[in-house]
Amino acid sequence: MSAAGVTFTRVRKAFGEAVAVKGLDLAIRPGEFVSLLGPSGCGKTTTLRMLAGLEFPTSGEIMIGDRVVNDVAPGKRDIAMVFQSYALYPHMTVGENIAYPLKKQGMAKAERATQVARIAAMLKLEALLDRKPRQLSGGQQQRVALGRALVRSPKVFLLDEPLSNLDAKLRAHMRAELIELHRTLGRTFVYVTHDQLEAMTMSDRIAVMEGGELRQFAPPREVYDRPANLFVAGFIGTPPMNTLPGGFTDGTFSHPAITARFTVTGAPARVVLGVRPEDVLIGQGPHRATVRVVEPTGHETIVMLDAGGSPLTARAPAEASLNPGDAVSFALRAEKLHLFDAESQARLDARAVTLGESE
Amino acid sequence: MKRVAFNLMAWTIVLVTAFPLIWMVITSVKPQFELFRIPPTFWPEEITFEHYRRLLWETPFLTFMRNSLILSFSTTVLVVAVATLGAHSLVRFRYPGRERLAQLVLFTYLLPSVVLILPLYLMMVWLGVANSLLSLVIAYTSFALPYALWLLRSFMQGIPDDLESAALVDGATRMEAFFDVILPQALPGIISTSLFTFILSWNEYLYALVLVNTDSARPLTTGVMSMLVSSFNIEWSLLMAASVMMSVPLIIIFAVLQKYLTRGFGAGGVKG
Repeated sequence: MSAAGVTFTRVRKAFGEAVAVKGLDLAIRPGEFVSLLGPSGCGKTTTLRMLAGLEFPTSGEIMIGDRVVNDVAPGKRDIAMVFQSYALYPHMTVGENIAYPLKKQGMAKAERATQVARIAAMLKLEALLDRKPRQLSGGQQQRVALGRALVRSPKVFLLDEPLSNLDAKLRAHMRAELIELHRTLGRTFVYVTHDQLEAMTMSDRIAVMEGGELRQFAPPREVYDRPANLFVAGFIGTPPMNTLPGGFTDGTFSHPAITARFTVTGAPARVVLGVRPEDVLIGQGPHRATVRVVEPTGHETIVMLDAGGSPLTARAPAEASLNPGDAVSFALRAEKLHLFDAESQARLDARAVTLGESE
Repeated sequence: MKRVAFNLMAWTIVLVTAFPLIWMVITSVKPQFELFRIPPTFWPEEITFEHYRRLLWETPFLTFMRNSLILSFSTTVLVVAVATLGAHSLVRFRYPGRERLAQLVLFTYLLPSVVLILPLYLMMVWLGVANSLLSLVIAYTSFALPYALWLLRSFMQGIPDDLESAALVDGATRMEAFFDVILPQALPGIISTSLFTFILSWNEYLYALVLVNTDSARPLTTGVMSMLVSSFNIEWSLLMAASVMMSVPLIIIFAVLQKYLTRGFGAGGVKG
């Protein structure tokens, strides 16, 4: 009864004509917290449901630990799942809800009561055991759903957007609790979300998915610092990374507002330059732009610029006094520039050396 | 003022609707000689239970009653059992032609029942069950089932998929998930479907008339008619007593189930 790894090997899932997951290869280590992150329709929930046994892969192989589970019933996979809707049984009390998985295991009533009490104490649900789910607040229902998953100590926890129905404050609180829970239990967590903040804060590794395909599988820091392609670059980060299309000849990127020399081998003629808003430094520098929109958020100000016809977003200090129409100079942090192939959208292994304004 | 007018109107409608029923009860306890008095008396001068006594002990009424009860209960149980599982399948499982199947089920409603009677009768003969209660159970099921299926389908569509998924992950088999989670959620739907089926079978006349012609297998509707209404004479007082007794089971069932019906419908919206 310890953690188990999860392996997807060329897993494909089609619903009739529509292909939800296109040949997924993913190896999750025992005890790891992995988020499946992506926009809706990217196949992340289908992936999780296949792991749970609620959907059957069209082809490919899914393993939990060293056991192929393609034909194993959901209840026999030694997993537990928390649903977005919580899926608490409305006609059962909180206690009966938590005890249900144990009852299905054939555990004796007295033993069940002990286990339910243990979980209730852990999640501070003792006072609510005799209530029905509809008498609870959203946060309490969430804890009951967690309790029902925790009670039988499964090898793998599956969580399908469990926090999306909570208000912002409670969500932040539950994030911390989930991190804590993962740490104390040491079990494998597979967490589906479309919220990058949840993925970034909780995960050991993030699997970014789009259109049924895995776009990148790496620790949060790496996904942020070295996005594998334009999709990941644009999806992670708020506001998202700026992408400036331009030409590339002799190691020089050229755009109406920006030129940059890179050390790179075998780059194509059309590329996209990526730069995060925090790496655009307004004030002085070799580049010129016009301020379009200024959005003060309190601790900082988001500035939208027009740089040679391309939109460019920058983070500026809250004190910055900028007005729409202002002409500003700006610099880019050379070491934080990203270069992507405009055709394949893949990241190019490039390092910027000098930056300058184009003529 | 508006309230008073509204109440007045409501009560008028209630009285108009209820009058035949009241008249039925009153007539059933009037002595024979008072029935055709002109001008008619509303309150009987003398109350007698003679008609009830005759009905119960001197006619096959109790046999008909037993037949009707067996018939209606079996039809209800059969229809609800099949419709619940069928509706669940139509809602939960993906298979080719699922929607088309659901629509085809309603096809029987396109045809007037008179058109179906003869083929159905021939089929019963062929099955060797003609002229029995079983033939009626089959016939009633054939036209109560489509409606029951659709009624339950809409109830089942209201049950979130996640509930069943959760039960499966929690270690239940499909059948266990169905009984532990789906069935309790569908209970209000099951109750209204049962009620509908029961009333339908209890009141059905045409099929009973055509498919069964022995007293031992006749339900109340046709039994009472053939027993008390002939070309020469209508036994009004006995007919009224029979009508009262026929209404009793329905009234009891409604009284028992109404509470669940309203509770079921209200349960979702009430935070308690």
